[in-house]
Amino acid sequence: MTQSAENVLDHFELFRGPEYQSMLANKRELFENRRDPAEVERVREWAKTAEYQEKNFAREALTINPAKACQPLGAVFAAVGFEGTLPFVHGSQGCVAYYRSHFSRHFKEPTSCVSSSMTEDAAVFGGLNNMIDGLANTYSMYKPKMIAVSTTCMAEVIGDDLNAFIKTAKEKGSVPEAFDVPFAHTPAFVGSHVTGYDNALKGILEHFWDGKAGTAPKVERQPNGKINFIGGFDGYTVGNIREIKRIFDLMGVEYTILGDNSDVWDTPTDGEFRMYDGGTTLEDAAAAVHAKATLSMQEYCTEKTLPFIAGHGHETVSFNHPVGVAGTDRFLMEVARLTGTEIPDALARERGRLVDAIADSSSHIHGKKFALYGDPDLCLGLAAFLLELGAEPTHVLATNGSKGWAAKMQELFDSSPFGKNCKAYPGRDLWHMRSLLFTEPVDYLIGNTYGKYLERDTGTPLIRIGFPIFDRHHHHRYPVWGYQGGLNVLVRILDKIFDTFDANTNIPSKSDYSFDIIR
Amino acid sequence: MTTLSATIQEVFNEPACGKNAAKSEKERKKGCTKQLQPGGAAGGCAFDGAKIALQPLTDVAHLVHGPIACEGNSWDNRGAKSSGPSLWRTGFTTDINETDIVFGGEKRLYKAIREIIEKYDPPAVFVYQTCIPAMTGDDINAVAKAASAKFGKPVIPINAPGFVGPKNLGNKLAGEALLDHVIGTVEPDYTTPYDINIIGEYNLSGELWQVKPLLDALGIRVLSCISGDGRYREVAQSHRAKAAMMVCSKAMINVARKMEERYGIPFFEGSFYGIGDTSDSLREIARLLVSRGAPAELLDRTEALIAREEAKAWASIAPFKPRFAGKRVLLITGGVKSWSVVAALQEAGLEIAGTSVKKSTKEDKERIKELMGEDAHMIEDMTPREMYRMLKDAKADIMLSGGRSQFVALKAAMPWLDINQERHHAYMGYVGMVDLLREIAKTLFNPVWEQVRRPAPWDDPADNWQARALAEVVAPQLAAE
Repeated sequence: MTQSAENVLDHFELFRGPEYQSMLANKRELFENRRDPAEVERVREWAKTAEYQEKNFAREALTINPAKACQPLGAVFAAVGFEGTLPFVHGSQGCVAYYRSHFSRHFKEPTSCVSSSMTEDAAVFGGLNNMIDGLANTYSMYKPKMIAVSTTCMAEVIGDDLNAFIKTAKEKGSVPEAFDVPFAHTPAFVGSHVTGYDNALKGILEHFWDGKAGTAPKVERQPNGKINFIGGFDGYTVGNIREIKRIFDLMGVEYTILGDNSDVWDTPTDGEFRMYDGGTTLEDAAAAVHAKATLSMQEYCTEKTLPFIAGHGHETVSFNHPVGVAGTDRFLMEVARLTGTEIPDALARERGRLVDAIADSSSHIHGKKFALYGDPDLCLGLAAFLLELGAEPTHVLATNGSKGWAAKMQELFDSSPFGKNCKAYPGRDLWHMRSLLFTEPVDYLIGNTYGKYLERDTGTPLIRIGFPIFDRHHHHRYPVWGYQGGLNVLVRILDKIFDTFDANTNIPSKSDYSFDIIR
Repeated sequence: MTTLSATIQEVFNEPACGKNAAKSEKERKKGCTKQLQPGGAAGGCAFDGAKIALQPLTDVAHLVHGPIACEGNSWDNRGAKSSGPSLWRTGFTTDINETDIVFGGEKRLYKAIREIIEKYDPPAVFVYQTCIPAMTGDDINAVAKAASAKFGKPVIPINAPGFVGPKNLGNKLAGEALLDHVIGTVEPDYTTPYDINIIGEYNLSGELWQVKPLLDALGIRVLSCISGDGRYREVAQSHRAKAAMMVCSKAMINVARKMEERYGIPFFEGSFYGIGDTSDSLREIARLLVSRGAPAELLDRTEALIAREEAKAWASIAPFKPRFAGKRVLLITGGVKSWSVVAALQEAGLEIAGTSVKKSTKEDKERIKELMGEDAHMIEDMTPREMYRMLKDAKADIMLSGGRSQFVALKAAMPWLDINQERHHAYMGYVGMVDLLREIAKTLFNPVWEQVRRPAPWDDPADNWQARALAEVVAPQLAAE
């Protein structure tokens, strides 16, 4: 065998050896009842046709390679943005392990989150005991300042009532009476992670503003000049929130970030483990009710939260993950209007630099076609930026996008000559995208890590922008919001374009006559 | 062997150049390019000119004798393309140090040549002189001669150290080196009545390849292209061509003229930029070949090819015309492009707001007048400030220029398209013309200009940076008036 104790080969090399190659070939030939390779090839080619696409788009029950995740994932995202807060997911523990690994793989940071670890008997008799024990253990073992409860499907299906359960647990002494335990029902069979984010954030604000589930008097709002900022579920939260703070500080705006995960997902390595770090303080979360206005960077992440806040007398403004010049302009103008501040020259200069960078390189992007998928707001923000660059966001797909989202996308397409042949695909998955990439090919694909399969199958170069990004490190540290963020997105797109040029021209004595050092 | 200063004087005396011939002896001695103004922004040096003129010879090892500055900053910096060897893209330099300056760098140069020959065995090594070893007195001619004798391989000294003058002079000195050491040293295996040389064409962005199929279709053989996608041997045997076309205005006029004198190869100056110019050039090549004994039917075949290709090109250009109606172009380039591109743009319905003639010769200017009429707006030497004002006053909708002027256009918030060496699109021949127009259209209608022109939405339009910048441009002019 090729493997020997002196030189153990890893998976990159082992099966490439001649012994394995011939063994695998024989196995295919003799035992696997292999299909005729020509037939396999024929079907492979057929799966690239318009005929197959029609069947693919007629799919009703099956989702293949979804570009969305579940509600509690979003709930955990929202919860860790608050000071000393431990997300507590009521339900089965396996789900929670997924959220933790999902975030850790993206942010390359541990994500603390606990579960009530419901088992079969809990599923039959209800999860009350798991809640009582769970809250008590969480409180004593991990010493959080707040426990934010959400649910998995299991608890939702049997109808566990979080409000009552938490009340009972407190009565039984799991946690002190005055300890903050906000909650939100977050069934995965409704909506997606952006819905869960919305529900959890609303749950937390409801808790602080509306009398802590009947245990405290409602806060009397005394309007001040501050504004609240909500980032939404955002894979770039570390870089973005820091960038937003910098911008607000430059403008001299008084603000509260509601759900600030920029520190907890970027802790320094200095010998200390920080289970909790940074985040919106509980006092600030409570005091946020007095703010003058609340801004949401992602409309579809705050569909319930914003109306709730508006109900408390705030002016609310929402954006769709603004990326680029015009998007950032609108954002800053709103901030300036709401707070009565001026946009400082430093930001005007940053704006000019982004415009300059676009002008320097846009000829490479202008006229290129892009396919794009991701969360609804990200799709809107990136598509707007692409249109600004003169690119055509030909296919824009959001598995968790609604018909309303598609209409909004269409409105965006209609606003630019470059949007003429572009189409939005709500509720579709990456297998639909695969068909689109074959029947109506584009130059580049923008999406998360899972897009690498599409890149491999269709040969469309993938620009990694979205969530999750597992196979590239540290992108989340670089903002995509603000003019600096727009620059980062521009560079990421350009890098791929030039990498593609190089990759297509690098065969010595064959294609390398165009392998240029100056691009 | 002539000395460098003698060679330079010889280059300054160019009987084939009308402007030069009209000069007094004293004027001629000064050279044909404007003296550099100390303190002003300047272009490349003679070394750079020599290097870029010869670098496209793809199978040659180009060895730069000097400190790291010269090759370190410049290797592989041109978009010339090769259909075969890639040795020309490898940066060879002696990278001399203090010791070489004190004790002389000739030994190091000799060793470097030896190492190149041992490791790469190229058909020839070109050794480029630079300022420092020229000042310390390294005799690259002697080293090249010794190395050539020792290794039995052509080692060609290119004596154009940077301080002798500007880039254009370097182009010509490079030509002199080819004339002295390369051209006529090898006999071709066979010749045909259809053999031509193309002189001063560098195959930037692979442009030559857009024209070559036309020549192939006519059965015309490019015996040697100096120097785009060229091979050493081709240049060495180029003296057997029947006719020559000189492409880049005056960069290598000395080569064309001396080859005519020495080997009786007639040449004409032509361009493949623009439909009419491409056709004219093909006609002229055919005419010269026929005058040198090729069968007269070549003329008919040429006309047939021209008719076919022009029709195709016009058909591809027609859709652009409505989009270009009323669009004005400011052309900041020089030399042959100052008129060859003018014709091309006019063909597509673009108006020419002005063309720069800084590097253009008298003939170039004559051609411009022919094309644009007597009142052609020719710009002698436009400062960036004036360029800015011209663009700003919307006298032009787009500027076509080299990379160095692009920022003027960008700051004036005007579209800009690169038509010099660093561009990535090939504009030669019939196909190239269509490509150029496509690129102009893409540039003109790029949404970024709207973005660039629109001030920040919170800005006071009376007091933004653009208004202030324009005021700065206008104020001194008003004061002067």
